[in-house]
Amino acid sequence: MAEELVIQGSALGKQFGENVIAVEDANFTIPRGSFISLVGPSGCGKSTLLRLISGLIEKSGGDLLVRNAEVVGPRSDIGMMFQKAVLLDWRTSIENVLLPDEIRGTIDTDAKKRAWDHLQLVGLKDFEFSFPRQLSGGMQQRVALARLLQTGADIMLLDEPFGALDEFTRERLNDELLRIVEGPDITTIFVTHNIQEAIYLADQVFVMTPRPGRIAAQIEIDLPTPRNIDMTTTPEFNNYVQQVRDVLAGHLDGQPL
Amino acid sequence: MSNDQEASVSNIELAADYKGTLGGAVLRHTIIFFVIMFIWEMANRTGFSNPLLLPRPTDIVASIWKIYVTQGNVWYHLWVTFKEAMVGCFIGCVIGIGLAVAAVLSDTFRQFLKPYIIIVEATPRIALGPIFVTWFGFGMSSKVALAALVCFFAPFVNTITGLLGVEEESYELFRSLGATRRQVFWKLMIPTALPTMNAGLKLAVGSAFGGALVAEFISAQAGMGILMARYTMSLNMPSAFAGLLSITLYGFILFRIMEIIDKRVLYWLSDDLMAKKSVKKETKIRGELGL
Repeated sequence: MAEELVIQGSALGKQFGENVIAVEDANFTIPRGSFISLVGPSGCGKSTLLRLISGLIEKSGGDLLVRNAEVVGPRSDIGMMFQKAVLLDWRTSIENVLLPDEIRGTIDTDAKKRAWDHLQLVGLKDFEFSFPRQLSGGMQQRVALARLLQTGADIMLLDEPFGALDEFTRERLNDELLRIVEGPDITTIFVTHNIQEAIYLADQVFVMTPRPGRIAAQIEIDLPTPRNIDMTTTPEFNNYVQQVRDVLAGHLDGQPL
Repeated sequence: MSNDQEASVSNIELAADYKGTLGGAVLRHTIIFFVIMFIWEMANRTGFSNPLLLPRPTDIVASIWKIYVTQGNVWYHLWVTFKEAMVGCFIGCVIGIGLAVAAVLSDTFRQFLKPYIIIVEATPRIALGPIFVTWFGFGMSSKVALAALVCFFAPFVNTITGLLGVEEESYELFRSLGATRRQVFWKLMIPTALPTMNAGLKLAVGSAFGGALVAEFISAQAGMGILMARYTMSLNMPSAFAGLLSITLYGFILFRIMEIIDKRVLYWLSDDLMAKKSVKKETKIRGELGL
């Protein structure tokens, strides 16, 4: 079965102002249903690359195709999640989840049913009518995840979504995320600066290096799925960690950090 | 955002410093009040202070009775000042919020407005009183104008601060969902700015009386300002103090009303109101979904 390519970038570049090159010559193909991690130090352009794909910012050069069409702006088949939950404080969980429908004018009983179901799916039973201020950081991110699911997007762009949470919560949410996005339909791009996390989650890791922001390596992660936390201590896993470190070290030598 | 709110006078919790029961606190404050009044009264009666300049508490109480009941003349003047202050405050707030919204939505307009705002900020607004009286006459208009000018600034600054406080990621979220500018404004920017805007409105309401009173001091046919000026000129100090106390009392009542409105509107900042709202929404949506 030929893999269906959902996102393609070639010679993709983004420059801010005169001399800040955030992304340079990015070439990649992302098959449908895959999980890609973008890993790299701060300032390597991983968030910029994510925003290019989302259509939030315009490229300065090269080509970027989503479903064989040039990206010209935000699309309804692409959803985003951020490091902050970005919830509206004056709305309950379910009303926050319903925001995409409200903006698109598709709010009805059916949409509310789906919002309810999505909240159950992300483990927020009994918190459907809580306000963000009444929820912990982890729970707020769960609401954000439910809102992302509510958009119906099958391309999910996650910008360090659990980066501000404690280690335990983050591990749990990573596992739940994998459970939710597994299968052939949902394509996920996950930005992180945590190498272990990047490898643990992904089918493929894009290692990015700064100044200028480049994809220095694309590493296939050939670990069995579903993943579980025990794998992180295996020699294969550590081998991947070492590979990523080598790529970063090779590019970062002599660079001021 | 919360820092801006905390910075406003209106959020200082005046009642939170008592220990023990509410009844105990009331009793304590009552005793302190009467002790101070007693000392004041005695200082007057023993000739320690000049009763002509600083009237006795008992005389002030008698004057309050006089201006409110036997003469009953204060009602009319209160109404005049209240009307001037509120109309002026309304106009000032509308202009302040309107300009702020325009300045936030248009960078060009913001750049254009900036020097003028700095000039207005540097001018003591009360100083325009005599000019306004010349421009707008001895009647209500000059008082309304000064009250509006005095009220304008806090809502203006707070609205700008509030609207500019929307985080970049929130905009990105709305844009990624395909929201229109109108949706971004009403569903994101305004609610985000509301706590800060409300703090500005509270400050405006608080200063409105001052603006109207100053214009009345300069020249007026009616109002608390001219009433108090007349009392002091005829050295009727007990009545002047009675007038002053009235203004303080109404200012306080107005402030409390604003606080109650504020709390209701900003239900998501109050734990008990959030709990109530949750229950209400739960009943409604559960009913709709048949759960």
